[in-house]
Amino acid sequence: MSDIKREFVHLLANYGHIGFTFAAAIIIGLGGGIYLDQKIFDGRTAPWFTFIGLAFGIAAAYKSLFEILWLNKKKDEKSDKEG
Amino acid sequence: MEHPILFISIILEKLGLPIPHGPVGHTFIEQLCAPYMTYTWFVMVFLLFVVKLTLGDLEIVPGKGQNFWEIVIGGLDSFFAENMGREMTDKLFPMIATFGLYIVVANLIGLIPGFMSPTSSINTTLALTLIVWVTHHIIGFRAHGLNYYKHFIGPVWWLIPLLLPIEIISNLARMLSLSIRLFGNIMAKETLLAILFMLAGAFFAPLPIMILGVLVSLVQAMVFVLLTVVYFSQAAEHAH
Repeated sequence: MSDIKREFVHLLANYGHIGFTFAAAIIIGLGGGIYLDQKIFDGRTAPWFTFIGLAFGIAAAYKSLFEILWLNKKKDEKSDKEG
Repeated sequence: MEHPILFISIILEKLGLPIPHGPVGHTFIEQLCAPYMTYTWFVMVFLLFVVKLTLGDLEIVPGKGQNFWEIVIGGLDSFFAENMGREMTDKLFPMIATFGLYIVVANLIGLIPGFMSPTSSINTTLALTLIVWVTHHIIGFRAHGLNYYKHFIGPVWWLIPLLLPIEIISNLARMLSLSIRLFGNIMAKETLLAILFMLAGAFFAPLPIMILGVLVSLVQAMVFVLLTVVYFSQAAEHAH
C-alpha cells in the first residue's frame, strides 16, 4: 500500500467512527440513567438519574472525541519538528 | 434485510427445512436456517475452498494463486505490525486477519444478486464486536495484571467518581459504535440496492450504487480491522 492510501485509511478509521461513538456514548449514558430511574428505583427518583446519566454520557462522548484529537497531537508535533 | 431471491434459502426450502419468514426464526432449526446464518456458512466454505484451490501446496517459486495470497497476507501483516508492534502481531494475526477476510467477503457478496451480506444483520456484527471487545480486555489483563483497572480511574484519586463512569460509558460506546457502524453501512447498501432495483432496475439504476457498494464494503472492513488493532494496542499500553 502506498503512503497516501495508508494515511487515508488511518484518517478514515480515526475520524470516521467519532460520530457513531459520540452518539453511542450519549445513548448509553441516557439509557443507563433511565434504567436506574424506572427499573431500579421504580420512578421514585424520577428525573434525577436520567439527568445524571445524560451528563455522564455527554462527558464520555466529549472524552472520546478529545482522545481522538490528542491521539494525533504527539505525532503531529514530532513531524512538525522533523519537517 | 429481506431479499427477493436468496438461492440458499430456496434450496433449503426445497429440501424441506423450515425457513424463517421474519428476520429471525422461532425454533432452533429455523434460527439455524435464517439467511444470515446460511450465508455466513457460505462465506466460511467459500474462504476455505477458494484458498485451498488457489493456494494448493506452497511452493518456493510462487504461482499466480500463491502470489496473490502472499500479497494479501503480507500486506495485512505489515499493516498490523506498523500499528501494534511485531510481538502482538505474531500473537494475534490469525484472529484479526480472519476477521478482515471474512468481513471483506461477507460485505462484497451482497452485491451479487441472489446473495446477501451476513454483515447486514446486527447479530453477525455484534458477535464479531463482542469477540473483539472481550479480547481487548483479556489482552489488557494479561499485559498489566490487576493493575489494568488503572486504565479506568484517571490520573488522580479524587477524580475517580467522575472519571470511572465516564471511562466505563466510553468503553461500552466502543462496542456499540463498532457493531452498529458496520451493520448500518452494509444494511443501508443492501436496502438502497433493493429499492433501486425495484424502482428502476430495468434502467440499471443500481449500478452507480453498486460501485459505491464495493468502496463501502472494502472501507468498512478496513475500518473494522484498524479499530480492532487500535483497541488492542491501547489495551496493552501503559495507563496514561
